[in-house]
Amino acid sequence: MSFDFKHHFESLADFLFAELLPNEQVSLNYSAEESYFARFNHAKVRQNGSVQQADVSITLWKNKKTYSFAQGLTCLFEEDCAVLAAALEDARKTAALLPDDPYQSIPTGAERSETAYSGSLIPQADVEKTILEPVRDLDFTGIFAQGLLCRGAANTAGARHWFQTETFSLDYSVWLENGRAVKGVYAGREWNGSEYERKIAEARKGLTVLALPQKKIEPGKYRMFISADALTEVVEFFSWNGFGERCMQQGESAYLALKEGRETFSNLFNLTQDFSIGVEPAFNGEGEAAPEKLVIIEKGKLVNTVVSSRSEKQYGTKANGAPPYEGLRSAVIGEGTLAEADALKELGTGIYISNFHYLNWSDTSAARITGMTRFACLWVEDGKVVAPIADMRWDESLYNIFGANLVAVTKERHLFADTSTYDQRSAGGCLLPGILVKDFNCTL
Amino acid sequence: MKVNIHRLLKEAADAVPQAEWIGLRRCTNHMSFFSVIDGAFDQAMSSRDEGIMLEVLYNGTFSYAATADVSREGVRRATERAFCAAQSAAPYGIYRFDRSVRPASQVRYTSKRQCLSGFSADEIAQGLIAVTQAARVSDHVIQTEAFYQTDTQEIELVSTNGADIRQIQYLGGAEVRAVARKDDVIQQRSVNGYNASCYQGGRELFNPDTLIVKARKAGEEAVELLTAEPCPTGKRTLVLMPDQMILQIHESVGHALEIDRILGDERNYAGGSFITLQDVGSFRYGSPLMNIVFNPLIAHELASYGADDIGNIAEKEYLIKDGILVRALGSLESQKRSGLRGVANQRACSWNRPPIDRMANINLEAGTSSFDSIISSIENGILMFSNRSWSIDDYRNKFQFGCEYAKLIENGKLTKTVRDPNYRGISRYFWNNLCAVGDESTFEVFGTPNCGKGEPNQTIRVGHASPVCAFSDVEVFGGGK
Repeated sequence: MSFDFKHHFESLADFLFAELLPNEQVSLNYSAEESYFARFNHAKVRQNGSVQQADVSITLWKNKKTYSFAQGLTCLFEEDCAVLAAALEDARKTAALLPDDPYQSIPTGAERSETAYSGSLIPQADVEKTILEPVRDLDFTGIFAQGLLCRGAANTAGARHWFQTETFSLDYSVWLENGRAVKGVYAGREWNGSEYERKIAEARKGLTVLALPQKKIEPGKYRMFISADALTEVVEFFSWNGFGERCMQQGESAYLALKEGRETFSNLFNLTQDFSIGVEPAFNGEGEAAPEKLVIIEKGKLVNTVVSSRSEKQYGTKANGAPPYEGLRSAVIGEGTLAEADALKELGTGIYISNFHYLNWSDTSAARITGMTRFACLWVEDGKVVAPIADMRWDESLYNIFGANLVAVTKERHLFADTSTYDQRSAGGCLLPGILVKDFNCTL
Repeated sequence: MKVNIHRLLKEAADAVPQAEWIGLRRCTNHMSFFSVIDGAFDQAMSSRDEGIMLEVLYNGTFSYAATADVSREGVRRATERAFCAAQSAAPYGIYRFDRSVRPASQVRYTSKRQCLSGFSADEIAQGLIAVTQAARVSDHVIQTEAFYQTDTQEIELVSTNGADIRQIQYLGGAEVRAVARKDDVIQQRSVNGYNASCYQGGRELFNPDTLIVKARKAGEEAVELLTAEPCPTGKRTLVLMPDQMILQIHESVGHALEIDRILGDERNYAGGSFITLQDVGSFRYGSPLMNIVFNPLIAHELASYGADDIGNIAEKEYLIKDGILVRALGSLESQKRSGLRGVANQRACSWNRPPIDRMANINLEAGTSSFDSIISSIENGILMFSNRSWSIDDYRNKFQFGCEYAKLIENGKLTKTVRDPNYRGISRYFWNNLCAVGDESTFEVFGTPNCGKGEPNQTIRVGHASPVCAFSDVEVFGGGK
């Protein structure tokens, strides 16, 4: 039976708030997980094990001072109270020494929310067998993660939010001896063996075309269908030098030219922050709730930026519940009219992109990104798949991809759970279509 | 919480007597971070955490369980979980390991520090305020930012076969950045690229007086870039300063030589390598001027240590000697699986992640050319400073990197400043075009805490050091849509 993280969170928040002096206000951001990981290579187990962890990040506002401190938790309540009390005492001493915070922004919202999703996961002792038996004849590699994931936030204005979900994710690839592979992700709350077997069968089918001799693409401009899977790699660029208000104001946003009317996107491009896709909570670490939907780009025009309370204080733009780093959460690109089934036909002759790899800004001011093609990218002639391509480097501006060179957007969209596990299992995700573009710049 | 790690190990061993071996790695982390923007307070924060990873060997398989609960019951429960994981994985294990890949080393390591006591919060904040003010050299500067971070990580490792290791790393790094704008041109300049100036040491790592001088230069160069011509397009000789060489080494040498990538462990995430197991010992990676070492012994370099996180004692080793690949970056586990010689590099970011093959300090050794002699020998070239963009394929071959600042080299002389400099190439050909390696006077040490890899994902500290280097016939180009 899982540890009662919600009770732990509530109890710690109550304890901390009772410890405060009259001139102190705080927010408390809580994260916890019970995770089981199994890593695979060549359809064998490379490493496996479990992680139980919990931590809090607390921001203290006292007079004009602002100080944040994070503390790992043992989940033994009395011990956690003792270390939190000591950390609070240290924070008071440090905060007193700091310069005044000119943009101090203390949360005022007192909303409350509670969301809990239960799951049906693989019994831990069966994980390796369940994953590996159907792929024993394949060169299968990847990571399986499952377990309970919790997020909580509370503040002294009265807000208290709780989100917990039991999820699994299998991020995998299946390889041929020629070094080509089909990539897949199976994620959700209820493991379904039949669905897993269907996905593996799909991967087996995908390997057939990858066994063909590969086609080497020469540098140049190509018509390209970029699948929804590949677009997941682009979503990060809506946050990094992205649509945050502070980033715009400080001259670091790639979309400043859009804001200032020097660049445009296509009216086919719509981008929204939309928590209704149900993969992460709408509250931020300071207990502030974001609207369920926030339109960023509407028919190619910038409608909103992502604004934290701190930025509202500094720049006067109304806040919309963003966390201090002002990243875009639960990104949703609007659907178009192209049926996925017609994608190859509409592509005609060009490249079908299954996945991108290792993208980075090559010129932020011009929203130009470089990256690689990866996994099962295909050369298509007259709507028919001809051969896998040798991986290609590309270098192209988002103002072209989502601007004048955007030909069509698919009707169908796909939900992607964030499978990243830096520090902790992520709770985010996105809903994306595929896109058809022309004159995409391949370079090496 | 005060813990006796040997007593915890005994609890673990008592809990699972069937285990063939048990290791217990305890890790405590204490981090602080202060930042200032435009002469005003921006952020001050700290974090502390502590936990243990129990690792159990059973039937040829190592499995783990991580917890922050270091009570007697917590350790017993975690050990039992690790044992259950090993039981279920053993029929499917990728290799039948034994205790020989967990040496019984006795190691003590502590970072060398000139000044043991730290600064107070107000001293750091006031220093950073002065630094950002220094970077604001003209009205064209629209943002100045400075930060200082410290991190203390203590790792204890004990095992049932007698390992007893305690290592404390004291780390720190400061950064300054200026953003300038004129009309539609926006340019940024930092000191040595984002977060590249991280080292082991004490209070001496934060010196506001030195940073102020660097901040002023960063501001001036950001403004200078506003009226600079775009970087030209075409092939020419590329000279890289050490603060870009570190990225070049990291991406196109370090990762390519990690044996777990060569064995395919990373194929689903970070990628594989163009290097094969058969290449080690004979492959010509670069020109005869190329000498790359795994060197955990440079005291202030970020990833120096006494032993890795499975207890293998760290020693300096040549990876590439006179351009030939002689050794790869693999831990004892990877060495068993591959049959290759490796290094002590099985490392974890903290107590909640298992150790895997990682770079540590990967350095290019100094050559014999002075900076002036390199420049004067080039008819048509470009000198690039400070990384700002990095991207490379999953086999570590086709790369494209960008820098903050560049100067053209024309007829043996540094001439015009150019903006938005980028270059691209293919690792195996690029390094064979290494045509000059700077002498000791050009050698600089850097480090960054942000190397991502592994499933589950881990971010770890790496150090890199290099002299100035020149490469012939490199494709360079500028920015724009």
